[in-house]
Amino acid sequence: MTTHYLTWLLAIPAASALVVLLVPRSWDVAIKRFSIGAMLVELIVSLRLVLADYSDAGYRFVEHVAWVESFGISYKVGVDGISLWLVVLTTLLSPIALYASWGSIKTGIKGYALSFLLLELGMLGAFVALDLFLFYVFWELMLVPMYLIIGIWGGKDRVYAAVKFFLYTMVGSLLMLVAILYVVASYEKLAGHYTFDLQELSSLVLPASQQYLLFGAFALAFAIKVPMFPFHTWLPDAHVQAPTGGSVILAAVLLKLGIYGFIRFAMPLFPVASQTIGPVLAGLGVVGIIYGAYAAWVQRDLKKLVAYSSVSHMGFILLGLFAMNRNGISGAILQMINHGISTGALFLLVGVIYDRRHSRKLDDFGGLAKVMPWYTLFFVVITLSSIGLPGTNGFVGEFMILAGSFLSRTAIGFGSSWFIMTLLATTGVIFAAVYMLHAVLRIFWGKIVHPENESLTDLNRREVASLLPLIVMVFWIGLYPKFFLDKMNPSVDAFVTDFTVRYYEGRRTGEPRLVDFEELEQRIEAAGGLAMAEPTHEDAQ
Amino acid sequence: MHVEAPQQILLLLIILFPLGGAIINGLLGRYMAKGLVTLVGVGSVALSFALAVVSFVELYGLRHESETATLVYHFYEWFSLKLPSGNVVAVNVRFVMDSLSGVMTLIVTGVGGLIHLYSIGYMGDDEGYPRFMSFLNLFMASMLILVLGSSMPVMFVGWEGVGLCSYLLIGFWFENRDYAAAGRKAFVVNRIGDFGVLIGMFILVGVAGSFEFADINSAAMAGEFRPDFPVWLLGVAPSLATVACVFLFLGCTGKSAQIPLYIWLPDAMAGPTPVSALIHAATMVTAGVYLCCRLSPLFITSDVAMSIIAVTGTLTALLAASIAVVQREMKKILAYSTVSQLGFMFAAVGVGAFAAGFFHVFTHAFFKACLFLGAGSVMHAVHAHGDADIFKLGGLRKALPITRLTFLASCLAIAGFPLTSGFFSKDEILLGAAAQIFRPDDMLMTSVGWFTLIGLTLAAVMTAFYMFRLYFLTFTGEYRSADQSGDHPYDAHPHESPPAMTIPLVVLAVGALTVGFLGLPHVVPIIGTHLSDYSWWGHWMEASVAGQPVPEQMYIVNLASGLAFGAMAIGISAAWVLYRNKSTDALAEKMPARLYQLAFDKWRVDELYAATIVNPIKNVAVVAGRADMTFVDAVMTKLPSFNVREAGRILARLQNGVVHVYGAVVVVGVVAVLAWFWTPHSRIEAAFEGTRVELTTPQGLGYEYRWDANSDGEFETQWKGTPGTTFEYGHDDMRGIAVFLKNTHSGIEHRIDVTDEWMPLPIESVVPAEFLSPRDTGFEVRIDGEFLLFRKAHARTKLSGMKEIRLPMGKSGRLGPARVSSRPLVEATLEVRNAFGNTRRATKEIALPFGFEAPTHASLTRPAHEVVR
Repeated sequence: MTTHYLTWLLAIPAASALVVLLVPRSWDVAIKRFSIGAMLVELIVSLRLVLADYSDAGYRFVEHVAWVESFGISYKVGVDGISLWLVVLTTLLSPIALYASWGSIKTGIKGYALSFLLLELGMLGAFVALDLFLFYVFWELMLVPMYLIIGIWGGKDRVYAAVKFFLYTMVGSLLMLVAILYVVASYEKLAGHYTFDLQELSSLVLPASQQYLLFGAFALAFAIKVPMFPFHTWLPDAHVQAPTGGSVILAAVLLKLGIYGFIRFAMPLFPVASQTIGPVLAGLGVVGIIYGAYAAWVQRDLKKLVAYSSVSHMGFILLGLFAMNRNGISGAILQMINHGISTGALFLLVGVIYDRRHSRKLDDFGGLAKVMPWYTLFFVVITLSSIGLPGTNGFVGEFMILAGSFLSRTAIGFGSSWFIMTLLATTGVIFAAVYMLHAVLRIFWGKIVHPENESLTDLNRREVASLLPLIVMVFWIGLYPKFFLDKMNPSVDAFVTDFTVRYYEGRRTGEPRLVDFEELEQRIEAAGGLAMAEPTHEDAQ
Repeated sequence: MHVEAPQQILLLLIILFPLGGAIINGLLGRYMAKGLVTLVGVGSVALSFALAVVSFVELYGLRHESETATLVYHFYEWFSLKLPSGNVVAVNVRFVMDSLSGVMTLIVTGVGGLIHLYSIGYMGDDEGYPRFMSFLNLFMASMLILVLGSSMPVMFVGWEGVGLCSYLLIGFWFENRDYAAAGRKAFVVNRIGDFGVLIGMFILVGVAGSFEFADINSAAMAGEFRPDFPVWLLGVAPSLATVACVFLFLGCTGKSAQIPLYIWLPDAMAGPTPVSALIHAATMVTAGVYLCCRLSPLFITSDVAMSIIAVTGTLTALLAASIAVVQREMKKILAYSTVSQLGFMFAAVGVGAFAAGFFHVFTHAFFKACLFLGAGSVMHAVHAHGDADIFKLGGLRKALPITRLTFLASCLAIAGFPLTSGFFSKDEILLGAAAQIFRPDDMLMTSVGWFTLIGLTLAAVMTAFYMFRLYFLTFTGEYRSADQSGDHPYDAHPHESPPAMTIPLVVLAVGALTVGFLGLPHVVPIIGTHLSDYSWWGHWMEASVAGQPVPEQMYIVNLASGLAFGAMAIGISAAWVLYRNKSTDALAEKMPARLYQLAFDKWRVDELYAATIVNPIKNVAVVAGRADMTFVDAVMTKLPSFNVREAGRILARLQNGVVHVYGAVVVVGVVAVLAWFWTPHSRIEAAFEGTRVELTTPQGLGYEYRWDANSDGEFETQWKGTPGTTFEYGHDDMRGIAVFLKNTHSGIEHRIDVTDEWMPLPIESVVPAEFLSPRDTGFEVRIDGEFLLFRKAHARTKLSGMKEIRLPMGKSGRLGPARVSSRPLVEATLEVRNAFGNTRRATKEIALPFGFEAPTHASLTRPAHEVVR
């Protein structure tokens, strides 16, 4: 029986956007309530996905309808253990971000709500699409509302930041489009028909020389989105200019699409290239960890500090991803969720004082613990999550990533380059404490030096309501991550096995060809798994 | 991993009570009555202590049945890791009480309970009292997780948790930014240590395949940590155990304030005094020693790591004691004293006297907590804030009789006065060091033993001296703040503290005097009688702690005892002479002024770190922050956008509407096109069908073609307009033979032109290099009539059973992982003529995919590479 939960998931924001579009702009309150309501329904629908059984790999809730048959384009969607939590993260944070925005967004309510609904549609579509064309459509769809959110409701230099964000991301995605078309064309040569279906395209094995270029095109698009050092410079600008809600979504969900793209598309399609280039990307991730932390430390603007901390955190995720084992990849996925929660919450918290003081400069604060005790508590808890204190979510993710990187390759666990990368990455744990506690010290401790801070009010009900779910998640994931990991591990295990088989097949080939991987993997399974067979001598006839 | 039934739920409750207290007081405390806050805060710890006692008694009972009895509570699975071997390692939230963690739990909850009690009096009037109680309870919970956790990650939860509480409590009076900064310093320095613990943890799980302490220890005892570390560091190959232990010890130096990371502890005195007593003296700072004892079977496998620990401990003991000798403030002296005593403990660990080191943890908890609380009582009495200058005190024995007596008892204990607790524990440590000296045939450990013994004796002299300097200046002589006319900040009429504060003092002082008897040695020095069959402490610890055996030779025992006693006597006497009933710093007058100042400035180590480590890193960060928005952004964003803009500008310039410029461009284009057409272009493509070969070339307008398919210099076809031709090759047309080798694993392909001489084959295509021994030269090939002949050339490869292989011409087969095909080579020439009469030749060598029945030998007499271009 086919269920249509994923279609509902896409239809609700689309239909709601249409409704919002049609009502008069003066119905502010109605629009606010309706859009939040729609997103909450969305959240409930997405929770239904969690109930499914993910104990073996493979896609759930798959729907497949032909769209443009002559080009093999179809509407194909599905979730597995890898995308499940990213979908839930999106549906959880979208209403929170929108709700929190009402503190500062007073003009253009209609347009803002519309943008948010479309943004949610784009993000969810990209996470569930199993058709490259469909994915590309959603991938580009996300750009427009975010561009508008930054460009219209942003800060002083919003237009510069919005254009930079748009162009930077666009450059990467255009190359990706070319690569997608090349892959589809190569497939057509062998199979005789066009398809954009990811699962069908997966049977295509391309020679290494072609993989490098194609992987490069995909990787550029994804690396910019992550953002990986040195493609990160759009991020601080975008964050500083974006309104609170925009920053939350940008940091919490949009960046994750880069990593997700690597896992879902770039790595399985081009395994040889990603195995060869992966360590380099992991190395750049490590550079990002340290560099981002350094840059964060010296920022005077709190939002910029959090933006650079994102660069640092995303470096960890890249490192885990390319460690190419279960610990690293599961850790990376979990850390994506964690980063979404803690950085999302940090941007919300920055928004709280910005709404009150219209400043984010560290110098303008100090001693806030005295007047805003609850705010202090929330901020410190999220800080601890961000620096990965055990018991909070950040620790489990970082620990798994570092263990994955440390235990990458060889019998007792490590090759020298991975050992050194792990050492360097682990120093990120120290620097995270340095820059975050630096911010906490400057904002909360000491005496109040600016008289205007004396009368600041503590968190109001709306702010508590938007932060509380995130605090709950911080401890839930921190104390019982097994609930989340159990649903993703089977998919990740299958991903690693599949990747390895693809890698060896890719190494063998000189010409593009089609391989039935499902059948091959079953054969390998039957033969006792993936131990590399010793080459046997076969007499020449 | 077997879980022992029944589950000991008490172990969980021991932790949950203070945790619950922390949550209640933290969230609701500020809305609750003070009495209720006290009830929750102190009551939860009291309950926890009671449960700890119950559990300990049960454990004690079980020890009669089994030497290795433990209490276990398995809570739930936290997460899991998958090792490269494919094994899944579950990280369980699991608590274990064995002889080591049992004692530590009693210390933590017992001393902790007393300090909570004391805090009612000391902190009761502070407006942040509920917050204080909440943090203190949170600390208790974290510390208990650290102690009771059965595996490294769970221990690490407590390890970082106590660091957090330390941060929060040092900066408790957050309105003073220096205090908050001291808290941050503590956290960051501890994080440097935590980095080491994390890496150490990964090595442990990589080797032992488990995070559980028990599994790691049994792997260590099975020698699994003896092999070399796979990554060479600095050109030497240390063992796995050494690398793991050094990383773990880095963590210990952070948490337990040893060189090089001790610098945070003196600053930590910014916190309220009960915090200093509980966290920065009795419990948290001993966590490093606890970890070393927990993993003692691992540490003891690495002599190098042990030596590093012993030397570091000794140096720390000396350095900190030398600073304490000249300080003027009570808590600062006690802080350096703590660092120094922790050095003693690590020195003990380093010489393999783990039980002795941990015994010192135990006794130290009593006397040092008592000393800090006593200092707090004094500060409370004279209304000193932050710290108290001992040169402005004096004569307090009258006003504070209870505080004075308890303080004196603890001073005697820490100095090692006979029969007090410190006497027994310090004696055991020196005994451990002395034992190393007499270890035969081990230069490293012998010299470490000498160094430790001498260093610790000197430190012990200083300990006795500075403690009694502190005591005499505070409690004897006249009260120097009684006269309020001068620049004296303290209250003129000090008073004894309330019972909530004095009761803990008395209990701790009694402990400081008596608990040493638990570690009564089995041999009495000088007399040499055996008091009992064993030391109770040593026997109790045996079950969970490894270590060198305690020596029984009288000369070693006497040497250690003599040194300990002598050090105590010299130290106390010197202090008596210089400071009893005095009010000035006699030492400052006797020492060279510059030396005194240097010691007073803590040897300027903080400044050294600032200049060599902190500031350079900070500067790099500033540069990184600036460069990011200028340089990186310029290269990645501004430069490309500049390029696009300028390219656009140039292209725009071309669209300038001036007709003769357009004309010139057209002319250039036409000339280029004509030039391309002037000479013909050709390219040969071959398609095979049986033995027939179809040769084609792309067709060009007005071109004519003629072919010489067999390369005999004569064109077989006449000039004609159609490009293709077909040709049937025979063996006379052959110009050579090539072997194509393709390794199917690596994808490497080689082509070799074969002659009838033996020719070597490239090894990496026939067989991966790892299957060859270094002197192997692989394989050879030559033409033998209609066959290619392959043979091994001095190869001892794993391709066993191979002698010679014959491969018919034009056929393919496998040689190891390589696919081998032999193909005859021919050469085709094409001449093309275009309408201008220009001609162009193309030549292509073609490897035929089929062989011939009998190739003539004559055509192959020349080496193939001469024939084939």
